[in-house]
Amino acid sequence: MFDAPVHKKRIVSLTPLIDVVFLLLIFFMLASSFLQTQSIAVLTPAPNPEEVETDRHVVEVWIMNDGSFRLDGDPVTPDMLADGIRRKLGGDPEAVVSILAEKQAAVQPLISAMEAARNAGAQSIGTSRVEALR
Amino acid sequence: MIEFDEARPRRPYESVVPLINVVFLLLVFFLLAGTLQPTDDIDVDLPVGQVDDKRASEDVILYVEADGFVYLGETVMSADLAPYMLRKFLDEKGVFDVSIKADEKAPAHELIKLMEGLRNVGVREVNLVTEQSE
Repeated sequence: MFDAPVHKKRIVSLTPLIDVVFLLLIFFMLASSFLQTQSIAVLTPAPNPEEVETDRHVVEVWIMNDGSFRLDGDPVTPDMLADGIRRKLGGDPEAVVSILAEKQAAVQPLISAMEAARNAGAQSIGTSRVEALR
Repeated sequence: MIEFDEARPRRPYESVVPLINVVFLLLVFFLLAGTLQPTDDIDVDLPVGQVDDKRASEDVILYVEADGFVYLGETVMSADLAPYMLRKFLDEKGVFDVSIKADEKAPAHELIKLMEGLRNVGVREVNLVTEQSE
């Protein structure tokens, strides 16, 4: 009397799944960032010179307008800066590294100089700005 | 007489399964490899560096743009005035942990001026955010 029921399994449509997965993909593509940042802690410079102790051994790093470095007045390459500072410090724990930036100098060499001084083992790093050196 | 087929067989649909495989793969990649973090409103090219003091604070972030202007949240100010604007903010929030994101091309003088001013309002140490160099 009745036909035998048809046992045909229907395939579930994949389209909504793909829609959702695409949406998630685009969200994570746009929202995620791959930039790895880090930070270097530095002491803020004293604005008035009275706070600066003058009886200590001072190593001066100059940052010139063109971004080059000078160590106590002598030109030095960025790669050799840390070694140069270490040699000038001579293992003196009290010694001060003073970083002087000229007017046109940018932030990148300043950061490089701070890191070089840190890598050289300086305990005390100061920064100041000068109009022009020599 | 030559006989033609009445209807040529329909071209079968392209399977979507390989597509879904690839999309899932990309989804999992972005899920695992990316980190979700709020994006910066201000576009700064961070300077590169190696030193990591692992003291990234997200409390107060100051941005120094390439032209030397300082951003705190949505306020723009010059580097001379920023610390005094910040004093009120710091007193309210009670934080003295300040991060600075400075553009690598920003004038070093502005950054030093800003740090001097921060010393004036009682911030003794700042975190300069850098990008990891390879």
